[in-house]
Amino acid sequence: MKIKKSKSTWLPAENVKNALEERRLLLQASENLPLWQTPPDFTQQVMARIFPIRVPLSAWLTAAYAGFGSIILAIFILLLVAGQNFSSLLTSLNYSLWNFVRNLSPVFVKLFKVASLFVKTLQQFFEYIIKAFASLTTIINPQVQIIIITIAIILIAFSIYGIKRKILIGEKT
Amino acid sequence: MSSMNEDKELVERTIKGEKEAFEMIIQKYQQPLLNYIGRTVGEHELALDFTQEVFIKTYSSLHSYKPQYKFSTWLFKIASNFIIDYWRKKKIDAFSLDQQEQDSDLPPLQVPDKEPSIVKKFEISELRERIERTLEKIPAPLREVFVWRHINEFSYEEMAEIKGLPVGTIKNRVFQARELIRTRLEEKA
Repeated sequence: MKIKKSKSTWLPAENVKNALEERRLLLQASENLPLWQTPPDFTQQVMARIFPIRVPLSAWLTAAYAGFGSIILAIFILLLVAGQNFSSLLTSLNYSLWNFVRNLSPVFVKLFKVASLFVKTLQQFFEYIIKAFASLTTIINPQVQIIIITIAIILIAFSIYGIKRKILIGEKT
Repeated sequence: MSSMNEDKELVERTIKGEKEAFEMIIQKYQQPLLNYIGRTVGEHELALDFTQEVFIKTYSSLHSYKPQYKFSTWLFKIASNFIIDYWRKKKIDAFSLDQQEQDSDLPPLQVPDKEPSIVKKFEISELRERIERTLEKIPAPLREVFVWRHINEFSYEEMAEIKGLPVGTIKNRVFQARELIRTRLEEKA
């Protein structure tokens, strides 16, 4: 009878011991899970996305000058090899350059005219808006004007807040 | 120099325009971050993309970093928010646990009746594989804290700071994650 009783209290203690041992082993296994590896060029990939390589303008210009210069030089050499006279070559080059400038000048004049017309149109448009707004303020009474302005300010504030929130999602720190 | 001060110095140098300093930050945190993100989203390629995105976000928000906080905690907070956004977009419920856990009391230890121990059935390497597979199937918020605790080896206090939750809630969540994994392993065994 006595042995039976001690066995019945002994068994739960054994179970607790087993349960604790099981958890200890599970923990041990969990702490040694294999690590995921990043590719060897991962850092470079991230850096390239953060700091995209920008070629300076001077490098582009140098390349353009060099290219243009080489083409001119190649044409000169080709024409000299073909038996052209150097002085007549210079004269014809000068002539064609002058023609090029002469043909291009009307285009520049037209472009200038279009630009000035565009500026004038914009000016007239804004003048019209200002006039319309001024006449509107004389028609609507001041209280209504205040209400409209207040609503507009609230709407603008909410839209700015909304845009800001959308941008900041994920960066809450 | 301690890791915390080292990080702060690297951040300061990055803000001053020293690219190499941020490169060092990436080198230091790429693996812990990949392991956290990877285990949370479950796909290697996606995890690599997300890790890159988190570093980009971190770089663009460096000016808002407050030196009184630990950099690693701040970095993982950005990563955690990034993943929450991903779950939100995928319509995965990542928030239900927050409402459930109001008290921080730990649930009692479940003692099995005479049943043979699951860990005794498997070799340790097999057990690891099974844990890995089971981890993918437990709820995302539990998986997140389990990874932080056992793979990234964060303290409960650090995890609480990242999630903005009480330490007790985090402890509870880690315990739930472990118990859930154990129960699932038992079911499969």
